[in-house]
Amino acid sequence: MTTVQNGSRTTVNVNGTAVEMYSGGNGPPLVFFHGAGGSNGWQSWHEDLAAEYTVFVPSQPGFNGTEAPAWVKTISDVAHFNHMFIEALGLQDIVLMGSSMGGWVSAEMAAMDDHNVDALILVDAAGIKPREGEIAEIFMVSSETRLKQRFHDPSQVENYENYTRELTPEEQLVVHSNAIMASQLCWKPYLHNPSLPHTLSRVDTPTLIVWGNEDAIIPVECGHLFQQAIRGSQLRIIDNCGHSPAVEKRGEFVEAVTSFLDSPQISVF
Amino acid sequence: MAHELEVFWFSEQPYGHVTEDDLAPYESGRMHFPNTYFDPEKAHVLYSNYHDQYELADQVGFDGIMSNEHHSSYWCMKPSVNVDAAVITQRTKNAKIAMLGNVIAVNDPVKMAEEIAMLDCISGGRIISGFVRGTAVETLHAGYPPTENRPRFEEAHDLIVKCWTEPGPFRWEGEYWPHRMVNPWVVPIQKPHPPVWFPGTGSPESVIWAAKHRYPYMNLGSLLDLTKQLKGIYHETAAEEGYEAGPEHFGYLIRCLVADTDERAQEIGRTFLWTENHRNRGPMEFNDPPGYQSREALRIKMSRPLIGTGTMGRRMTYEDLQAAYNIIVGSPETVTEKLRHIRQDLEPGYILIYGNEGHMPHEDVMRSVELLGTRVIPALKEG
Repeated sequence: MTTVQNGSRTTVNVNGTAVEMYSGGNGPPLVFFHGAGGSNGWQSWHEDLAAEYTVFVPSQPGFNGTEAPAWVKTISDVAHFNHMFIEALGLQDIVLMGSSMGGWVSAEMAAMDDHNVDALILVDAAGIKPREGEIAEIFMVSSETRLKQRFHDPSQVENYENYTRELTPEEQLVVHSNAIMASQLCWKPYLHNPSLPHTLSRVDTPTLIVWGNEDAIIPVECGHLFQQAIRGSQLRIIDNCGHSPAVEKRGEFVEAVTSFLDSPQISVF
Repeated sequence: MAHELEVFWFSEQPYGHVTEDDLAPYESGRMHFPNTYFDPEKAHVLYSNYHDQYELADQVGFDGIMSNEHHSSYWCMKPSVNVDAAVITQRTKNAKIAMLGNVIAVNDPVKMAEEIAMLDCISGGRIISGFVRGTAVETLHAGYPPTENRPRFEEAHDLIVKCWTEPGPFRWEGEYWPHRMVNPWVVPIQKPHPPVWFPGTGSPESVIWAAKHRYPYMNLGSLLDLTKQLKGIYHETAAEEGYEAGPEHFGYLIRCLVADTDERAQEIGRTFLWTENHRNRGPMEFNDPPGYQSREALRIKMSRPLIGTGTMGRRMTYEDLQAAYNIIVGSPETVTEKLRHIRQDLEPGYILIYGNEGHMPHEDVMRSVELLGTRVIPALKEG
């Protein structure tokens, strides 16, 4: 196996579509799918996981450097596309991880076909409609409101100024373009698929559900609903934490993931 | 033959009882401002006044009446332009009826084709059928994803025109409105179909779309410099399409009020600023949610830098707006002179008079209609 610098950017050809991807590390494959805001590239928590896993961080179709093929219009289409992406990489027995919208996509992928998935990790995932609360409005609000919704306590966020600084025109175009794709995928039904709680009954992959207890976008109630939908799944709730535990509670998040993956339940590793 | 100038009357039909104090507690003037402020009894009186204004405009010599629709908006009580047009067919005898227009992206296009055809038959061929994308709020209010507005608009347009021009029954394998049998009984009296108009404010993409279809483009009151640039884009696109655009391809909407004296007109006209502070208040994402503008629209915008932004986002006083010819108020002589300036500057084939606003007294608006029809329009047409 060749050694690459962690976080290096490459592209992967998926049936003619060039998928932008960051990757690094050694060990079993772990594929992470980003949320509706798009990819933030290689992050410090990826680096943490790269100590034990080969971490793949693609930009999904329509986000960042990956063009959307014309046929990709729904979350289900993205899930099919992501399966093709994993096949194109030739990955076997993967850890499938997704956050927010990427968690929704990952859940759909597992419901379609989980024979190649050794472990599923859903982080503050969209996809199931809460019964009591509501999924917050993320499109018809200002970027300031969206940022407030995302983090419970900004002082817990490394380099928080990166989230508030003025963007370059190129970055603005990427943000806008990502928002268009997210809007296309998630507007209606709003950030959920009514069938998902039912189709998830076919999943028999060991599953960890991680949720920020103070998630102001997708209420923690949805974590419980995912746990009910996926047989034998574990729910780990992180206190004093908003919608992005990997960013806001990096240490606790990485510990939750690695201890789950190290558990005897995950036979292959 | 040269196109002769046509002048249209237009009213938003505002619910003029809303005040700044009513609006102050709410984040936005549209989606958030609750309909508990709407009193149907008061609306009944207002509708009646607005219809009287239509009748008078027809009698005093306006060439046409323009109407529109908006949703979830206190400043426009018309959620259906077709219903308003039906009223106009019955209250007027000669005026053209320009609907600007149906928000076809969020309505069943076959029903739209039927209703417009019905109006055309009822009115004896007086209908001009504008098609609009609507403000983003129209799409949000209808519950559709903003990304679908443009493709839905395109498909609805194509299907409506086909309903009007191709004998039924036919099959329509569309993405949004698939039909295996389309066969509307009522078709338009005008052949091949009623004229189609397309409006815009500042988007070059809209101008290009209109020019490619050879539809007259109606600019809805952008500042003159910006409007001239947009008109230039129409001419360029027309040339690329192999035809020469003229005044008949271009109209301009202008806020305008006439009174017997300049002083009186200045006083009444101040109400044109009724919505200035809060019409578009609220998060930018209401007016421009992600996907409402396509990537293509963004690309065109970036490739064609325009001077000015229209009036949105700019604090302009009543005096500024008058100096910029964005609001025209005055005696018949003053208004005629200023409209002549616009006519010379923009050479529009159509001038659409945005003739009342907010709580302007009905009597004053009626007087304005009368003076426009009997004094201003004849003088303007003389040259």
